[in-house]
Amino acid sequence: MSARPVFVHGVGAVTALGLSWRESIAPLAAGASAIVPVTEFDVAHFPCTVAAPIRDFKHQGDRRIALACAASEEAWTAAAIAFDDSQQKKIGIFMGAESGRAPFATVHALTRAAGGKAAFDHAKFGKQARVLAEHCDASQTSPAAVTSLLAKRYGATGPAVTISLACSSGASAVAEAARSIRLGICDVALCGGVGADVDPLMLAGFGRIGALSGRGISCPFDARRDGFVVGEGAAMIVLSADRGTAVVELAGEGRSLDAYNLTAPDPDGDGATRAMRAALVAAKIDAVDYVQAHGTSTPLNDAVEAMALRRVFGTHLYKSHVSSVKGALGHWIAGAGALGLLCAHEALMTGTLFPTANLTNPDRDCDLPHVLGGAIKKTVNTALVNAFAFGGANCSLVLRRCA
Amino acid sequence: MCPSNQYQKVYVQGAAAISAFGMDWRGLGAAITANKITLSPARQLADSHGSVFGSEVAAIPAAIDVDARACKLMSYPARLNAVALRQVLYDTGWESARDEIAFYLGVGASGGSVAELTEMLRASIVDQTFTLDRFGTAGLAACNPLFAFQLMNNFTLCHGAIVHGIGGPNSAFYSRGNGTVAALSEAMHVVASGECGRALAGGADSALHPVTWAQLCRDGYVDQGFIPGEGAGLLALSRESTHALAELSRCEFHSAITLRAGAARLLSDIFQDFKPNVDDRVLFSAWGEPSREMLLHACNESGVSTVIDIAACLGDALAAAPALAWVAALDLVVTGNASRALVLNAGIDGGLGCVVLRRVV
Repeated sequence: MSARPVFVHGVGAVTALGLSWRESIAPLAAGASAIVPVTEFDVAHFPCTVAAPIRDFKHQGDRRIALACAASEEAWTAAAIAFDDSQQKKIGIFMGAESGRAPFATVHALTRAAGGKAAFDHAKFGKQARVLAEHCDASQTSPAAVTSLLAKRYGATGPAVTISLACSSGASAVAEAARSIRLGICDVALCGGVGADVDPLMLAGFGRIGALSGRGISCPFDARRDGFVVGEGAAMIVLSADRGTAVVELAGEGRSLDAYNLTAPDPDGDGATRAMRAALVAAKIDAVDYVQAHGTSTPLNDAVEAMALRRVFGTHLYKSHVSSVKGALGHWIAGAGALGLLCAHEALMTGTLFPTANLTNPDRDCDLPHVLGGAIKKTVNTALVNAFAFGGANCSLVLRRCA
Repeated sequence: MCPSNQYQKVYVQGAAAISAFGMDWRGLGAAITANKITLSPARQLADSHGSVFGSEVAAIPAAIDVDARACKLMSYPARLNAVALRQVLYDTGWESARDEIAFYLGVGASGGSVAELTEMLRASIVDQTFTLDRFGTAGLAACNPLFAFQLMNNFTLCHGAIVHGIGGPNSAFYSRGNGTVAALSEAMHVVASGECGRALAGGADSALHPVTWAQLCRDGYVDQGFIPGEGAGLLALSRESTHALAELSRCEFHSAITLRAGAARLLSDIFQDFKPNVDDRVLFSAWGEPSREMLLHACNESGVSTVIDIAACLGDALAAAPALAWVAALDLVVTGNASRALVLNAGIDGGLGCVVLRRVV
């Protein structure tokens, strides 16, 4: 079948460097980093004591929903897509959101419900859990809550899909949205990802597996890197089948599974390579001008991603530039891939390639054409975005400037 | 929703269902039709909630279970999925090039082991007081180092993929019903379009988790007839008609907003398109009385007098519920008890899924 093209019409974000994407661009270009000591709760004995929280964001209710709504509003306004009644039926919502975990406040309350003493009283837990649930609305904490609320807010009667794929959730949500537009399932899609994991349970959980930076620095591809730093935020994109005034096309998506290990990437980078190649094949190109890497600042991931990039692009890679936004904003987990897309979109729109913040001593294993210090300016016609998840789920997206 | 006229047909090459019926999918449809699967007090809720009747998977035989280490690291739904994955790969004989197989799964949020939570919290309490300081040290040390991964929904998909080497395009759809149909729809598209030669799709979940159950009680689903279930169901899809068990001729999902705007008309359209004959069967998986009544009414309006209510036997297994219904329908088609099977699901997410399987001619 002849699939329809997919165009980017608007983007929006709330980040620790700005309460809108527009506000975030200048500090990102300057190489600023929002990573600070956590003061929201006691992290004295936690494996990692820093994060990239959004401190000026005032909201009520679930934080993910509030972040996603604010980012969506910016994206939707920027897209300025006009609808008549018949077109409204074809809006889809595709959201990358993780959960499954109870917010820490809930867990704390559960301990009290279970007796709060040396023994964990299951019967009391069961009895009190129901009482606790009276104050903990599952419809708000569910990953799907964000999608449902956005669908209602934007009158979307098309697909309302929630992707829970850890660190590739946001990118995969964009991929699903693009597919739905290509197939004619919807004409317009509001898609992206949100992460709000500056939370004791997540810092504890990721710290327990040794994934977080003990040094308290997110420096992707740097020789000093020792783990990622948790960040939070939302990044949203409006896609449409109509070109209109769009400058950027979402030209290809590729996905794969490492099928290798729970925590570590395939050392051969096979899964990452397959995802990137699939996206490039779909876009019918074999090289790009810019790569917004997954670049988490973990020793293994960065080295494997660098190797996979060299394998995919060969010598062409050194005609492009590579950077990772996680040095500046930390790792948004479910929102990470969507944030990466916004960085690539900015490169295509304005020729601004954000630097990898905190990257001062590139690791020899991460030999890449890095963007160091501050942003560089160059004409970018094609860009690749990577998102690689814990558990080995990979997603790559290719953006292209419209002809 | 599927532009099927521009695509090649998609066939079901194999299946798996892990449910209260057992570890095999063959016979599931017949057992449900004959009402041979009964509800029983749920072991997993006994300590915390007393006697709750549900549809619970029996002990998994060691011969098909994951190894002890994986078992410790996995959430229970991930384990159910891994076992189902093993079964469907055996059923299809898909031994080679597994890194090319696409995998789309509906997953839920019922992951974390209460035993792990117990250990973590117990170690975090000093002098009858929970402290974050203690939590950051002894609490973390007491729990499974990969406890966080039990809580992340995608591991229900990824853990099984790691165990069995599945490496193709993929996605984990958060599901309380409809997301699982979205997973099948995606799998159908990648196969129909030729993007992938083979794909697996389904769901795995449990409503028998103490916290999930508390939430379901709180939200009023239990009072409206929700029966907790659990399990995993998978369909194996390809464009190969040779040895195919059935054709997957339709798969679509409608959001809660669409359904609220006009459920009667939507269902009427579905039945008008399906045009049920005497050899056809209609199955539905509805979470409770309101959704059951909605689907029954639509069936009656369309002249369908006999429907097979999956939830009455298997309960509602949340993300797994639609997949178990598809596999039951497949069993009816394969055994000659149906020429076509229309499967409607209405989960607690308020959406509607519609899947049609038909006998291969």
